Amino acid sequence: MKNSNINTNQEYKYGFTTDIENVRAPKGLNENSIKFISKMKKEPKWMLDWRLKAFNRLKNLKEPNWQKPKYPKINYQDLYYYSAPKSASNKPKSLDEVDPKLIETYKKLGIPLQEQKRLSGVAVDAVFDSVSVATTYKEELTKKGIIFCSISEAIREHPELVKKYLGSVIPLTDHYFATLNSAVFTDGSFVYIPPKVKCPMELSTYFRINASETGQFERTLIIADKGSYVSYLEGCTAPMRDENQLHAANVELVALDDAEIKYSTVQNWYPGDKDGIGGIYNFVTKRGACRGRNSKISWTQVETGSAITWKYPSCILQGDNSVGEFYSIAITNNHQKADTGTKMIHLGKNTKSKIISKGISAGQADNTYRGLVDIGKKALNSRNYTQCDSLLMGNKCGAHTVPYIKNKNSTSTVEHEATTSKINDEQLYYCNQRGLNQEEAVSLIVNGFCKEVLQQLPMEFAVEAQKLVGISLEGSVG
Amino acid sequence: MIENFKISLKEIDKINLINQEDKNYRIENLEFFNKKGFPTKKEEDWKFSDLREIFSKNFKKIDINDAYPEENNFRLIQEFDHNYILLINGRLIRSDFKFEDKNKIKITGYKEENFLREKSNNPLICLNNALSNEGYNLVVEKDYKFEKVLVIYNLFNEDLSEKILNNKNKIIVNKNSELHTIEYTINRSKNKFFNNTYENVILYENAKFKNICIQAGRSEGYFHKFLNGSIKSDSKYSSFIFSSGLKFNKQDIQIDLEGKNSDCEIKSALFLNKEDHQEIKTIVNHLVPNCKSFQKIKSVLDSNAKGVYQGKIFVKDIAQKTNAYQLSKALLISENSEFDSKPELEIYADDVKCSHGSTSGNVDENSVHYLMTRGLTKKEATQLLINGFLKEIISEIKSDTIKKFVENKLEFQVYGY
Repeated sequence: MKNSNINTNQEYKYGFTTDIENVRAPKGLNENSIKFISKMKKEPKWMLDWRLKAFNRLKNLKEPNWQKPKYPKINYQDLYYYSAPKSASNKPKSLDEVDPKLIETYKKLGIPLQEQKRLSGVAVDAVFDSVSVATTYKEELTKKGIIFCSISEAIREHPELVKKYLGSVIPLTDHYFATLNSAVFTDGSFVYIPPKVKCPMELSTYFRINASETGQFERTLIIADKGSYVSYLEGCTAPMRDENQLHAANVELVALDDAEIKYSTVQNWYPGDKDGIGGIYNFVTKRGACRGRNSKISWTQVETGSAITWKYPSCILQGDNSVGEFYSIAITNNHQKADTGTKMIHLGKNTKSKIISKGISAGQADNTYRGLVDIGKKALNSRNYTQCDSLLMGNKCGAHTVPYIKNKNSTSTVEHEATTSKINDEQLYYCNQRGLNQEEAVSLIVNGFCKEVLQQLPMEFAVEAQKLVGISLEGSVG
Repeated sequence: MIENFKISLKEIDKINLINQEDKNYRIENLEFFNKKGFPTKKEEDWKFSDLREIFSKNFKKIDINDAYPEENNFRLIQEFDHNYILLINGRLIRSDFKFEDKNKIKITGYKEENFLREKSNNPLICLNNALSNEGYNLVVEKDYKFEKVLVIYNLFNEDLSEKILNNKNKIIVNKNSELHTIEYTINRSKNKFFNNTYENVILYENAKFKNICIQAGRSEGYFHKFLNGSIKSDSKYSSFIFSSGLKFNKQDIQIDLEGKNSDCEIKSALFLNKEDHQEIKTIVNHLVPNCKSFQKIKSVLDSNAKGVYQGKIFVKDIAQKTNAYQLSKALLISENSEFDSKPELEIYADDVKCSHGSTSGNVDENSVHYLMTRGLTKKEATQLLINGFLKEIISEIKSDTIKKFVENKLEFQVYGY
């Protein structure tokens, strides 16, 4: 059939690398490389101490092994924990001074850094490997008092905020990968929205893994102060590459009274080839705390890439009347594995949470929804609604649902629903009859299946995400 | 704390063993249990029921039961005609199959050779493997349908205090046969004890087995039962669990659908109060195409009670056309009650219909209000709603007399709260 054709045409669209000389930390995970990172980042002593504390804790931790996707043992001593484009040591003052090769890479990725700057209306904090190169729209944001910069800059410029919130949602001692990140994180974004400010634009960062053998350890911290609102976009593409790459990011969100944070992700990292060789290990810890009354955190994710996706964006609903939402599409094809879901921990009164998860599995892939809804004794009148649907294509893939539901008081209501099925033959037939070929029909039906989640994405992402859904599944039916 | 619950290897010497191999197997299992101790919430299967904590709180020590007294004041159920077997502390005392063709039924006490020497990671199964020496073995020959229901009186006598009982039972229903049992547990002990049962059910082609599990009254007993069912083609397994009234109960049911067109149903209605803690855990393995499974678990939880349902549906890649459904519903009627569930799907075949639902919450306020406008007090209204909620399960029992019998037991519990 024409499948083979499609496969060769549609192989990883963003697979390219750029040759730039790298400054690297000494190989291996030890105090020296941590000190090196801290020095390169010109960090104050408290930050280094914090990292070393995490490193000491890490020595006593073991990698978790309860997850469904298994992976070959990672040799942490064989990785570089820091690599930066060489030109970073004397940072360019304007875009013209930026390494033209970098600009070229961004152009391929479609990041609007130069003339598209105004048109797109998106402020971009582009991370090439581990160092932020240019941040646009800073002036406009600064006018409103919004801080949007790299975490390294925030550590230097806004230590009081970083000290107060860093590690307050994901503590140093949390689990293996989160602790590893705390010890060696290199870059990431920092956002602070002052009280009663509605961020005028979608904030966005493109992460890009480039230097071979470098795991990326990003750290993102977003704080929405009282009565503020922010929408943050995270999108990822990575070049094609053979060896497995580890990515262990930490994302912390803090929403104070009446604040709202919307965090959207489109993840399209290199998933490995058709035979499951290569691909990114995406082991991310994402957690948000609704600290204040009436606060809201909403996670939306479209996960189509990575060899292994392993993450559970969570909400800790501490404030009374706070709201947590989780919308997810996870598509796995070929040999990809995804183990993803959410945790909704209800602590405050009248807290609400909603979980919509759509899993699509094709080829020899495995797709797991794993989630926790925990309603505490004091979380009176709380409410949760969960819906997990899985779609299977072929009998070599797997779809799994592992929800944990705990309800500890009688005034709260929890509802959970899950279904598993395949694409309805009649629907396919109907589409074929109307002149759509098999691929188009599948894409259409799957997009319909995912609609509830796609609707949650901001405009900038929605279009890309819809295309991605189709592309990710090409070659899986026929 | 674990030290208190270690069991001496000498206990194994007390069992009349058949050969050295069996003995070694038992020693191996007991050593495993002594090393592990009672399971804690760190183990996935015991996440919601930390048995070690429960035991540490309620037991000071635990000894092996070795008393099997004669029965006294034992009365049969009068409501309907039935065959019966009587177990006292797990030991088979006598049986009566007066309504049946006796050539078609074989009943014996515990026999070592009836069970395979399987390895297990579950400390309680290991404990059972190490120490079980009582139980029964029931075989229904092929092409025989039971005329009347078989009641299994499971009686625990007064002297049990901080004792542990380990039993192993086996039920085989051969080709084209049918068996309907009621497991009726009578507790006379006012003290705490622990009953640990392993049961093996095998249904051959086109066999039917229906079981109802019910308590005579409240009990201080702690129960754990592991049931392993193997279901061949065209056969049907169905189980009703009405085990309200136990301090602690965990039913760990694993059903393997091994033959095409086989069918498995597990239904439960529980009313828990006074710090009761009950867990139902089911694993249904769909190993071949065209099988059906259905689980429906309804629980009502009052003062400090905790209910747990862990259900898993596994569908192997070749098991196309599987139809599996799972539903758990819980009503929490007291502030301090808790319901935890983990409805799990693990699916490797695409042409299947699998779904689950799980809900927990309080009685619907609008319904209570409606009933109150019709003159009922709040308590009466709640009782009526609870009763209706649980009766849905009971209404699926076919025999009217048995249905009535079960209903009465349940109403007694609901209206007594």
